[in-house]
Amino acid sequence: MSYVYTVARLRGMENHILDSAFFSRLMDSAGIDEAVKALGETSYSQWISGANFDKAIDSEILATCEELKTFVPDRELLDIFRLPYDFHNVKVLLKGLFKVRGGESEGRRYDLLSKLGTIDSDELTTAIETEEYGFLPYGLTDLIPQCWQLWDQTKNAQAVELLIDHQMFRAMLKLAEGLNMPDITQWVREKIDAENLRSAIRLARMKYEPAKALAFFHEGGTIRPDDMAKLLSEPQETWSRLLSYKDIGRVLSALQDSGDMKVALSEVSKSLDDYLIQVLEKAKYSMDDPANVLLYLLTKEAEARNVRVALVCVAGGLDREFGRRLLSNGR
Amino acid sequence: MEFLGLSLALFGAALAAALAGIGSAIGIGIAGGAAAGVMTEDPNKFGSCLILQALPGTQGIYGLLIAFFVLNKLGLLGGAGAVALNWNQGLQILASCLPIAVVGWYSAIWQGKTSAASIQMISKKPEAMGKAIILPAMVETYAVLALLTSILMLMGVQVG
Repeated sequence: MSYVYTVARLRGMENHILDSAFFSRLMDSAGIDEAVKALGETSYSQWISGANFDKAIDSEILATCEELKTFVPDRELLDIFRLPYDFHNVKVLLKGLFKVRGGESEGRRYDLLSKLGTIDSDELTTAIETEEYGFLPYGLTDLIPQCWQLWDQTKNAQAVELLIDHQMFRAMLKLAEGLNMPDITQWVREKIDAENLRSAIRLARMKYEPAKALAFFHEGGTIRPDDMAKLLSEPQETWSRLLSYKDIGRVLSALQDSGDMKVALSEVSKSLDDYLIQVLEKAKYSMDDPANVLLYLLTKEAEARNVRVALVCVAGGLDREFGRRLLSNGR
Repeated sequence: MEFLGLSLALFGAALAAALAGIGSAIGIGIAGGAAAGVMTEDPNKFGSCLILQALPGTQGIYGLLIAFFVLNKLGLLGGAGAVALNWNQGLQILASCLPIAVVGWYSAIWQGKTSAASIQMISKKPEAMGKAIILPAMVETYAVLALLTSILMLMGVQVG
């Protein structure tokens, strides 16, 4: 199967991506029943049964991945997208086991496991609980024992999570480099930058010193961890200017313009997600660029995120204007 | 050496038909891949896709036309028997075939790529069919120019 076919088919599938007009309508729903009725006209309808919207949204993305698997020539492109869900599952399982070891019999949270990972969640659960890590990919074979060791030494779940995230980005970069597609590798590096920037904003709020914060930043981005850490010694309003030599720097302008830090943080987080889509958008002008596969998946994920935000706002009776600001500009 | 002129001329005709035909086959294959992708999602676009897919096929026809022209000039059509050609005349006919052979081959592949892009365009904007045809048709211009060049050159070669 060639990428000409793949990209053409994706162009057809893009017609079914929900647009801003639909989300506006969803946000204007009087109640959850009306919102569900609106979703009934979309591809989400086949998954909605009862009130478990999260499962329905995950099922939609999973179905998309499965469909793409049938015609995308390089499976690794899908794996790059799905890999964070594998590492999310590892975190959920390990944290559960840490709690069980600590005496909490109800520590396990299988309900938080995602089906979107490349490794079947049941197989992953069995592997981790029986300590049979040998077949696990992406460096998990070595990572999980290291996590146990770190936990035994520190009892610090955050440190373990950080160790897992470091490995996740290493694995993503390795997968991307193996594909020999410069745009995809660049996207992974930008994703690392985006994650590091999110960490920097959180660390700045907690008033971390640059030297102590260095360990929180992942290697492999276009901005070195050292430079990320240096940001912490500067006022957040100046970060956008300090990073103006990078495209991602402009995403931080919300920190400069907004007086309300809480609003600014949510704006930046949303802008970083949008930015990661924009990085790949030049692929839209090519009829056979493999980056279109990742672009489609990210757009679909942004759509799913928007559905989730809209449903939470409608069901919880939250401020609709705040909800609208949280919507990504996926399409 | 007696048949060298005829051989060179026939080689030219073969190149015109073969290279332009190969280019068209590749171009149509590329556009066909895109058409299949679009039609998987929306089978109703068959008509539009077919028109755009067929566009890179013209170079193959131009190549065939030049091959017929050469065969006719050599007297190989109609059973009258081949005309006598010296190697210099044969080489002139071979050279006359090269524009459509080379340009036809290359332009058909690029026209196929442009057609594929246009097919992707109509998948999102079916109302832009007119524009979608014009874009690959621009590539066609150069195949037509090459065809004219080959015809004019062939007409200038004196045989018999």
